[in-house]
Amino acid sequence: MHNSNGEAGAAAAVIEVEGLAKSYRVFDKPEGLVASVKSLFHRPSRVVEALKGVSLTVGRGEFVALLGPNGAGKTTFLKLLSGIITPTRGTARVLGHVPWERADDFRRRFALVMGQKNQLWWDLPAAESFRLHREIYRIEPARFERTRDELVDLLGVRKLVLQPVRDLSLGERMKLELVAALLHEPEVLFLDEPTIGLDVVAQHSLHQFLAHIQVERRMTIVLTTHYMKDVAALCRRAIVITDGSILYDGSLDQIVDRFTTHKIVTLDLDDTPDQADFARLGFPCEIRGPQVTLRIERQRIADVLPEILRGRQVRDVSVEDVPLEEIVAELFRSGSGQAARVPEEARA
Amino acid sequence: MARYLSIFLTFARACLVRDMTFRANFVLECLTSLGWMSMNLAFYLLVFQFTPEIGKGTGWTREPFFAFVATGLIINSIVQALFMPSAEELTEMVRTGGLDGVLVQPLDAQFLLSMHRVDFSSFANGLVGVGLLGWALARMDHAPPAVAWPLYALLILCGVAILYSLVIMLAAATILLGRNQSLYDFWFYLTNFSRYPAEIYAGPWGGPLRALCTFVIPILLVVNVPARVIAQPFEGQAWGLVWLAVTAAIVSLVVSRFVFQAALAKYRSASS
Amino acid sequence: MNRAVTTPLFPGLRAWWTMLVICLEERLAYRGDFILGTAMRFLPIVTQVFLWTAVFAATTRSDIAGYSRTDIVAYYLLTMVTRAFSSMPGLAGGIARSVRDGSIKKYLVQPVDYVSFLLAARIAHKLVYYAVAIIPFGAVFFVCRGYFPPVPDAVTIIAFTVSLVLSFLLGFFMEATLGMLGFWFLEVSSIIFAYMLVQYLLSGHMFPLDMLAGIPTGLHGVSVADVVRWLPFEYTAYFPSAVWLGKVCGAELVRSLLIEASWVVAMAVACRVAWWRGTRRYSAFGG
Repeated sequence: MHNSNGEAGAAAAVIEVEGLAKSYRVFDKPEGLVASVKSLFHRPSRVVEALKGVSLTVGRGEFVALLGPNGAGKTTFLKLLSGIITPTRGTARVLGHVPWERADDFRRRFALVMGQKNQLWWDLPAAESFRLHREIYRIEPARFERTRDELVDLLGVRKLVLQPVRDLSLGERMKLELVAALLHEPEVLFLDEPTIGLDVVAQHSLHQFLAHIQVERRMTIVLTTHYMKDVAALCRRAIVITDGSILYDGSLDQIVDRFTTHKIVTLDLDDTPDQADFARLGFPCEIRGPQVTLRIERQRIADVLPEILRGRQVRDVSVEDVPLEEIVAELFRSGSGQAARVPEEARA
Repeated sequence: MARYLSIFLTFARACLVRDMTFRANFVLECLTSLGWMSMNLAFYLLVFQFTPEIGKGTGWTREPFFAFVATGLIINSIVQALFMPSAEELTEMVRTGGLDGVLVQPLDAQFLLSMHRVDFSSFANGLVGVGLLGWALARMDHAPPAVAWPLYALLILCGVAILYSLVIMLAAATILLGRNQSLYDFWFYLTNFSRYPAEIYAGPWGGPLRALCTFVIPILLVVNVPARVIAQPFEGQAWGLVWLAVTAAIVSLVVSRFVFQAALAKYRSASS
Repeated sequence: MNRAVTTPLFPGLRAWWTMLVICLEERLAYRGDFILGTAMRFLPIVTQVFLWTAVFAATTRSDIAGYSRTDIVAYYLLTMVTRAFSSMPGLAGGIARSVRDGSIKKYLVQPVDYVSFLLAARIAHKLVYYAVAIIPFGAVFFVCRGYFPPVPDAVTIIAFTVSLVLSFLLGFFMEATLGMLGFWFLEVSSIIFAYMLVQYLLSGHMFPLDMLAGIPTGLHGVSVADVVRWLPFEYTAYFPSAVWLGKVCGAELVRSLLIEASWVVAMAVACRVAWWRGTRRYSAFGG
């Protein structure tokens, strides 16, 4: 397990999860007239296992990314950790509490932000929602004002606080959602796709803010996202979930090491390259204008690169890792069994 | 308790701010409910064109009957203002997942879900109800005794509590089913039974119906008991009704709380 | 479906059939709500019946405005049938909403006539509704058969049927026209509400309109009932019920049917004009 805080991390475990599983029943909605009539008497249903026994530990001050395709169980996992739903099996402790017992003391110490759901009062200025938060979380007035001002200034949204939320852009709204969630200074923050639908600028400013506030407050943050940019900017530890189980848990850099067998070699040539010439080398290659991209096994790069360069008018050459997006997409596709085998081969 | 009160006041304040930002809409909503109410009053006036009394020997002649109607207006306007908007929004919250946001907050979920919206325009009907009550009582030949007034206030609270419990049960149904398009309709049709004096439910069909709506779903106690205390001569037997209404209110609150918690538990284990 | 609905007057039969099947599936999918909803709609009548029974118990009259106690029960049950034909839940609001959110555009682009499309959809909805609702309706009417006078003669039954069909069309065109006011006003919900209010009172939904006969308007010899007769509202609830109960017959029946038919034509024209002018305005000013 990756641990950014050395030995101290394990002792200060904030989230401890053991064999957590969640299944639920869904009713199939039949299509067609006859099936509809039949469903009057019998509704076909099946059990879906959203989470199939997940175990992990998160130390204080860690910033963890939860990756996985849609329906992999990321949101279910966050809902379990927030105590919104109860598990079918397994145990979990967050800040020493069993989340689904929903003790007020526990609920006052964490926050959940869902990118697709609006928690602020739609027709009112965010200031009103903040005031309500103060009441619900019993924040002392002086502390409330200090925290609010600090957050609002950090995000540069002071002027927006008095505008009705419905008049704000998605990015502005997300920033205010974050302010609301952090007002009670939670020790643990769950972020469910916080950057969904945001433009690049808004994403960037959220990254900066989260990185800053996490270090400053030594918050423990678990983030689910679809954007690798979020992960690369914020998290050192990534957990990949597919189909309800953990596929990978470790540092982001190691994902690349473990799951890629190839590197990308890009050549800039003087004139338009000859397709047949490069095809002869025996590597998958792609030619775009004067640029050639080759996919070469890592161990062979040192051997084959001189050979490739010899006798060709090469203006520039670069050797890069396969982009993170591609690796993760490949991980999602491959599913647990197959993916587990890949790193073995890579090491051999 | 004080904290819940202060949270509720924050809700109410926010709703008032919201209503005042959409003033035109607010006025329209007041007019809306006043419109429906006057329509019903016109109908009752028409009915009294043809009869001196509702039901023979029941004592519900024109003025007492209008005091009855006024009591109904007051109780319903309180429920409509304080609880109905939240309950109606619950359907939407379950569908969009907004309910999850409520469940992580360190607060009683039933309180938050049933009281986070206040619809001030619904108080318009209650104000008319108060006026109508004054008018009807002034025109009656017997004034209510002094003891009737505190009892009336208490029984109005009991009526509100019974209706609130009903709203909570419907909200529980909404959470269990995931949606309930007819929640509001069901509410309307059920409370419809409480709109007239219980005495009209007589005969081979009416008797059982009256018993059902008194002891099983105590909807007939909501308006009838306070209205009887204030608008009919106060007799010893009224005390029995008072105790019945108070008991019904407490039992409904407890049962609805239990059902609501069970629905939330079910939601927690059945959703992903 | 696009190809099938190119006929200007009425969507193709195949498209319509598809619509019918979808409606039926929808109903069945929400069967719990539907059965409960239909059954609950009878509850207000139950209280009305008890109310009028209590009124008759206290009064010395044998009838009120020509209605005996059983007549009134029959009347309320029959208005349920007429309302099942003439009420158009969500029609006006739906049109206004699609104008406001711009989804009306697709009807301006697609080769389909919007009014005809709505009418066809509504017929499909209603047919499916009757197919399922006949069970609770049948049960209630069977239980309450004692309240009804003997089955009327063939002429009355034909007149009743005609008045029902006309009440469906009248209800449709009135609400559709109302919804198209959305082209001119941003917020039509208050107009729809005012309409519902007037409709509720003057359609006879609340009480038999004959009871208004004794209420003077101020004009010499003209009662409120006389005025209401010339308005379209009573044809959506009161009139068909009164026809079945034999309250309207002979020359008056013919005259009333003609008034009803005239209102249908008038509202259909109004609806057309509103659509033409509204869409012209819409494309001129943009959505």
